[in-house]
Amino acid sequence: MVLTDRVAIRETGHTRRRVLATAGAVAGATTLGGCFGDDPEPPPAPDALQPLLDEALTMAAAYERAVVAQPALADRLTPLAEDHRAHATELATMIGATLPSAVAAPSASGSATDGDSTADLRKAEQTAQKNAVAACRTAPAERAALVGSIAASRATHAEALR
Amino acid sequence: MEQLAAALAAEEAAIYAYGLIGVHLKDNEQDRARAAEQEHRERRDLLVDRLDELKASAAPNPPGYALPFEVADRTSALRLAVHIEDGVAQAWRVVLPVTTDTERADALSAMTDSAIRATRWRKLGGITPLTMAFPGRAG
Repeated sequence: MVLTDRVAIRETGHTRRRVLATAGAVAGATTLGGCFGDDPEPPPAPDALQPLLDEALTMAAAYERAVVAQPALADRLTPLAEDHRAHATELATMIGATLPSAVAAPSASGSATDGDSTADLRKAEQTAQKNAVAACRTAPAERAALVGSIAASRATHAEALR
Repeated sequence: MEQLAAALAAEEAAIYAYGLIGVHLKDNEQDRARAAEQEHRERRDLLVDRLDELKASAAPNPPGYALPFEVADRTSALRLAVHIEDGVAQAWRVVLPVTTDTERADALSAMTDSAIRATRWRKLGGITPLTMAFPGRAG
């Protein structure tokens, strides 16, 4: 019993030091983690449709810049921008993503260029369509119809810009 | 496969409708209508073959097609062309979830081609907006 007690005391001493060290490390880790948010888990891999959502927002913004630079194109380009915004909204709902709440209004004065030409936009739509076709092909059944519609919509945009 | 049978019915309806549409159009538009009708015939033939492979009996053709409105002039002919292509896109869209890989890609091509033709007819008919956010979605 006596032996056991002495061992226990020594063990306790070690343990206490280790506990303190560990506590310090945990505190440090928590502080560091706090810089990036409270979730200590690594961020989950992005959804397979996240690139399609990002692309929809990029396209919408490109149209909006072009309209600011060339207001005469507003009637032609605004409905196309609205289609892309609608795509982004539905994709965000589908994958549980949050859309940027406020999109900074594009300003003509701040940009050095005249915005994308309709030829540039058309080229971008064709690339975007191909990406959506590829995404539709590999999408699970419950996502195929939405992604397919987005691919078809992008194709019609390229046609509308001819 | 009932979705493919429905796509076949939509393609048949398109072939029928283009027969009525063409005569009301200008010469260059008639060429487009003929080309569109030909594409619908090709899709129809592919569907007949596919349904045959699947040993599915295609639904018998309805005796006639009820048109949503009368086609009396160029304006109504262009509107019918848009209506028909929207309907074909809707029929192909429901094929997407029940197919995979190449077969799904083919269905998407058919749906996309119809959506593009609908946009072209809208442009010719001065119908706006030229595009839809979700081609093939009903309503």
